[in-house]
Amino acid sequence: MSAIAAAPVRRSRRSWLFAIGLILVGINVAVALLTLVWLPYDPSSTAGGRLEAPSLLHWAGTDRLGRDLFTQIMIGSRIALMVGAGAVAIGAAIGVTLGVLSAFATRLLDDAFAAAFDILIAFPTLLLAMLVVAASDTASLGSAILALGIAISAIVARLTRILAKRVIGMDYITAARTSGTSWPQIVIKHVLPNIWPTLLVNFALQFGLAVIAEASLSYLGLGAPPPNASWGRLLQEAQGTVYTAPFGAIAPGLALLILVIGINLSADGLRDIGDPTRRGSR
Amino acid sequence: MSLLTVEGLKISTDGRALVSDLSFAVGAGERMGLIGESGSGKSLTAMAITGLLPRNISARGSITLDGQQVIGAPERNLGQLRGSATAVIFQEPLTALDPLTRLGRQIEEPLRRRYRRDGLDPKTVKHEVLALMERVALPQPERIAAAYPYEVSGGQRQRVAIAMALACRPKLLIADEPTTALDVTTQAEILKLLDSLVRDLGMALLFISHDLPVVANVVDRLTVLRNGKAVEQGPVRDVLGAPKNPYTKTLVEAARAFDQALGRTP
Ligand SMILES: Nc1ncnc2c1ncn2[C@@H]1O[C@H](COP(=O)(O)OP(=O)(O)OP(=O)(O)O)[C@@H](O)[C@H]1O
Ligand SMILES: [Mg+2]
Repeated sequence: MSAIAAAPVRRSRRSWLFAIGLILVGINVAVALLTLVWLPYDPSSTAGGRLEAPSLLHWAGTDRLGRDLFTQIMIGSRIALMVGAGAVAIGAAIGVTLGVLSAFATRLLDDAFAAAFDILIAFPTLLLAMLVVAASDTASLGSAILALGIAISAIVARLTRILAKRVIGMDYITAARTSGTSWPQIVIKHVLPNIWPTLLVNFALQFGLAVIAEASLSYLGLGAPPPNASWGRLLQEAQGTVYTAPFGAIAPGLALLILVIGINLSADGLRDIGDPTRRGSR
Repeated sequence: MSLLTVEGLKISTDGRALVSDLSFAVGAGERMGLIGESGSGKSLTAMAITGLLPRNISARGSITLDGQQVIGAPERNLGQLRGSATAVIFQEPLTALDPLTRLGRQIEEPLRRRYRRDGLDPKTVKHEVLALMERVALPQPERIAAAYPYEVSGGQRQRVAIAMALACRPKLLIADEPTTALDVTTQAEILKLLDSLVRDLGMALLFISHDLPVVANVVDRLTVLRNGKAVEQGPVRDVLGAPKNPYTKTLVEAARAFDQALGRTP
């Protein structure tokens, strides 16, 4: 009885959380787009007082050089979304392709693929990213995106491989094969649609992790150089003055938190949408 | 020459024989029953005919289908045979349908392939989907075409699966225990439907079952499998009337006892 009664309640709460997640992500997207056409202050202008507390003039205060922090956080939101989207796009393209190939490959090749994915995953993401960044001459936004994309591709490939193998073993794949469906058609019409919902949720989670990883890279000084200030760089710059001007660290930290929470809530909501048996209020 | 000729078929895995020295033939428009207990190798035989045995299982001997050798044939040739020479209906209609694709689309997929193969006008595909659904007596075809497999009943799912097989217009329809997962009433309906479809469309039928009374009503000839070996073969009347093999005898006696028990119940 309780299970039956609890289901609609849980569903409505879930759809609430999904809405909140979408709103949080939506705000970030809106802010990121806004920075392309308008900013409250010139990001390199040092006209403000140094380390000012938040005020009506400077909503998030100013940094050591007197630059407006809110302006920089707005720019950081654009960087975060670019890194997340770029890294996930690269990771998804490589990962899904390799994962599907591996699932269809002969036993020997599949084992080799699986081992390669595992080794790549065992590698700490940040270490991998640092290697890629170090290999490219200068730290740039592009190298950070590429590095995180490669790290994500291994995770996506392993997940895709497992999901695809499970689908390939299903009766409906054999049924489609007996009516003459070719392997490429099987992949496009049956395998991808059936693993897509799970992959999409994973992409969203990877997006959140990429945002955090990029902040960490920037914090270590390996991210995009100024003026492409990422939240990680803001955190690093605020480190020395965290006791005297805590808001310099709190504001970018909060921005990071809001985006990642938004992404994770959205990811949970996507899980329900992808599955028609869980859709609607049946 | 027969539509399907199986000669000395041997199916094995890791040196273990699962089917050995199996031979039978099905002519165009003929109906053959393949009967045997669970694990006797019926489904493996069906998969061998379509060239879709699992990787760890290998087949030897000869299977000629529509004039082509299946065993050892390259994938390209097999792909052309599948759908045009054979189509398969499976035991479990829920798992044999893609859970995330609307039923109409699932019928459309093999239909489009046949239209391309036969050079028919693709504009009429959607209409033909509904016509096929009516042909297999699905009520409200439009509604069911837009539904997902979990939204319709087991019997309706099996009708969709039959429509998918019909969409291929195969010369040989292989039905692997198509009614085992259904309740008795639905089972009788599906059997009647299969019977009339095969007759009307002039398809040959390979009907697989472990249930003698079910098979006997649908087919002309029987092959009885036991532990991967054919123990008896012949027209239904002969096999049922005068079974030679002790295993077939027990099958026939069990079926008869069952019938009598049913007849005696008030
Ligand atoms: N993929 C496989 N690997 C190894 N052995 C298998 C495999 N598939 C089937 N077998 C074995 O082959 C034998 C025949 O299996 P098959 O599925 O043809 O039986 P069946 O006659 O269709 O039985 P049922 O009536 O239960 O469907 C069984 O003993 C089974 O264990
Ligand atoms: Mg079987």
